[in-house]
Amino acid sequence: MNPAINQPSRTSRAQVLTTIGFALLILVPSVLGFANKFREFILLSRGEVDGVFAITPVVNYLLASLGFFCLFFWAIYHGMFRDIEAPKFTMLENERKLDEEE
Amino acid sequence: MLESKVGVLFIAGIGFFGLAFLSNALVPALMYRDLPEQTVEQLLRNNGNLRFQFEDLARRFPDSFTAAYGHPPEGAAEREKWLDTWSQHALQLGHDVYVGEACWHCHSQFVRPVSNEDRRFGPVSKTEEYQNVLQRPVLFGTRRVGPDLSREGGRRSNDWHAVHFFKPTILSIGSPMPEYPWLFNGAADKPNAKGLALITYVQWLGSWLESYPYYEDYQPSPIHGLAEKGKDQK
Amino acid sequence: MEKELPRHADLVDERLVYWHFMAALIFMGASMLGGLLMALQLLRLNPFSGIELLSPGRWRMIHTNAIAYGFIANAFLGGLQWIVPRLTLHKVYNPKIPGLNIGLSWAIFWAWQLVVTATAVGLLLGQAQAVEWGETPIWIDPVAQLGLLLVAINYIPPIAKVEGPLYVSLWYFLAAFVWTFLTYAMGNFMPQYFVTGTAAGAVGGLFIHDLVGLFVTPLGWGLMYYFVPILLKKPIWSHGLSLVGFWGLAFFYPLQGIHHFLYTPIPMFLQYGAVISTIALELVVASVIFNFHATLRGSTGALTTNLPIRWFYSGMFYYFLTCLQCAFQVTLTFQQLIHFSDWVVGHAHMVMFGVFIMWQLGMMTYLIPRLLKTPWYSQRLLEWHYWLSFVGIGLMSFDLIILGIFQGLSWSSLLPWEHSLDLSIPFWAVRTVAGLLMIAGYLVFVVNVVQTYLTSRPAPQKAAVATA
Repeated sequence: MNPAINQPSRTSRAQVLTTIGFALLILVPSVLGFANKFREFILLSRGEVDGVFAITPVVNYLLASLGFFCLFFWAIYHGMFRDIEAPKFTMLENERKLDEEE
Repeated sequence: MLESKVGVLFIAGIGFFGLAFLSNALVPALMYRDLPEQTVEQLLRNNGNLRFQFEDLARRFPDSFTAAYGHPPEGAAEREKWLDTWSQHALQLGHDVYVGEACWHCHSQFVRPVSNEDRRFGPVSKTEEYQNVLQRPVLFGTRRVGPDLSREGGRRSNDWHAVHFFKPTILSIGSPMPEYPWLFNGAADKPNAKGLALITYVQWLGSWLESYPYYEDYQPSPIHGLAEKGKDQK
Repeated sequence: MEKELPRHADLVDERLVYWHFMAALIFMGASMLGGLLMALQLLRLNPFSGIELLSPGRWRMIHTNAIAYGFIANAFLGGLQWIVPRLTLHKVYNPKIPGLNIGLSWAIFWAWQLVVTATAVGLLLGQAQAVEWGETPIWIDPVAQLGLLLVAINYIPPIAKVEGPLYVSLWYFLAAFVWTFLTYAMGNFMPQYFVTGTAAGAVGGLFIHDLVGLFVTPLGWGLMYYFVPILLKKPIWSHGLSLVGFWGLAFFYPLQGIHHFLYTPIPMFLQYGAVISTIALELVVASVIFNFHATLRGSTGALTTNLPIRWFYSGMFYYFLTCLQCAFQVTLTFQQLIHFSDWVVGHAHMVMFGVFIMWQLGMMTYLIPRLLKTPWYSQRLLEWHYWLSFVGIGLMSFDLIILGIFQGLSWSSLLPWEHSLDLSIPFWAVRTVAGLLMIAGYLVFVVNVVQTYLTSRPAPQKAAVATA
């Protein structure tokens, strides 16, 4: 990293306020909305039979997504996305060579 | 793979996937402990509507009925047990025919709460109605060439169904429903065991509801010894 | 990097690719006959009325199963046998089966034909399992499951051997092997043995959906990402964007199955979730479509000169239409009207034939002459095949989709049931004509394949004359 970029620089008051303002604007309604949905979900799951199996697909979905997240990060750490456009050229090149030999 | 921290992510990813798959089966099984799946026997216990239809089949098609199920035993209690066994058998077989002939590809089995469906077919479907062994796999259906059948029981007589299965166009002019003559021994009034079973199954649909319609009035049972009992109930 | 490239002849078992394609075409014929029979039945013109083994209900199940497991799966297996070794530069695993004198690839071939044939026989004998798209009798399910496991065992090793970043097709293939296996198990075993009632309905909906989304879609896009660049002789516009499409599919697909059963007794909470996630997926679809059209930019002429490319992009055209349609039809408002109607049938035909089968036919159009080392017998017949199929499927889908709206209106207005049937007849007649067009296209293609095959063989008479 270029040390020049790492130099602590003073952020203006206005910038801080704007950032906090936007953060609040987005976070507060989202948190409220999420909490409300989550409460509804818990009520539903405690309710009658109907609600009970509402949990199954949601849990499944969350588990599967979590699995994908892990695989996604695994792929990142393995450099799968480092030279992201390279495979498309390699593939054409291989194809050309294979056809030439034929 | 395990020597790197990243390998853990890979294993975890696959693991979560497997877990999601397992929970798909396990969670409903655990949660439905309170609402156990009903067996055919439980479904028919105290289901007077179905018993009525089954005995009615014996009255209308005596030869076919005897050919399929034999003669009822002598004692009243044994006769009762005999009827129980055979009506359960017929219901199960009827379900298998319904599935095997792909009836469920042109007839749905649920009434939606929209599009006036409750006015056309009857009460809107509820979860509990599907919690039984005959809805394994569930027969919701995805297409209606013909009408919904989940409230079909009792709307029409057994005669009607027999003729309709034999050659639908006799009763519903212009019906695109296929003919099923292999459920009969050559004529519409001679259903074979499969034919009787399928009629039983169709008459069962909706028989668990309060609003089960009787197309025709009760007639004393033709099965000897049950007629008196039937009169008492009336 | 200066490694010796393996030779094509060592990598690909061309005979196997060819036979997978031939098996696929045979099952397609069976499927089309089933569809025709059902279409004639709806018009009350069934010439075989009352014959048990020709019952339209049973043949309707053969229609869907033969196309999904007979045609689509076979064509994919043939395609994979060609693509995977060429992309990875490694042979497929293909170990010798102990006791038999064949490798795993051929064992899969025979096992799969056995599964599909047994399914058809089971269905004809009335032993269906009440899972839509999974009517395979329950005693065949474990064999099919084993077959899918073997497919994964056969094709994952060469992909795992690749060093460095994977090409997007390989991502799709990897995912498809795992997903298909799990999806098949979920759809065929869970509603039968583990869950019942409406919960099973949710699983069933997920199965119908995931079979298309997690088995056919990833393999289909894998094919496209391979064949389109090599035919256009230029790389895909953005490999990064294609990976966005892949991961988007992974994250948004799973919860959607319930959108097949809106307004059922399945809790509304889940139904809303399915709707939202479906609409989110449309954005992913748009990114993929965009990528391919950006690739085509500058080579649009290929659409007229290069027949496989035309098949591929026609498929993508229908893909975009179905996905757009999907975003609408999945909403509860639309569902009130069109659920249970022929709209759904039109949609299903457009997805299965208009998209995936078109892609696979394009693939065959490209590969069969290479496999037989003979140019096509007739370019004209190929054009006929394309146009008959393209017009046929378009006509059929639009006809059925419009009919669905009329049917929905008829039902909800509480007119007598017969009204909905009467108004369907002209539409069903058009559908039958459209189906006949597609069948004609199929026959033309089969004739072309057979003729090409005959030319590819040294004619015995001529050889005899020469020696004499």
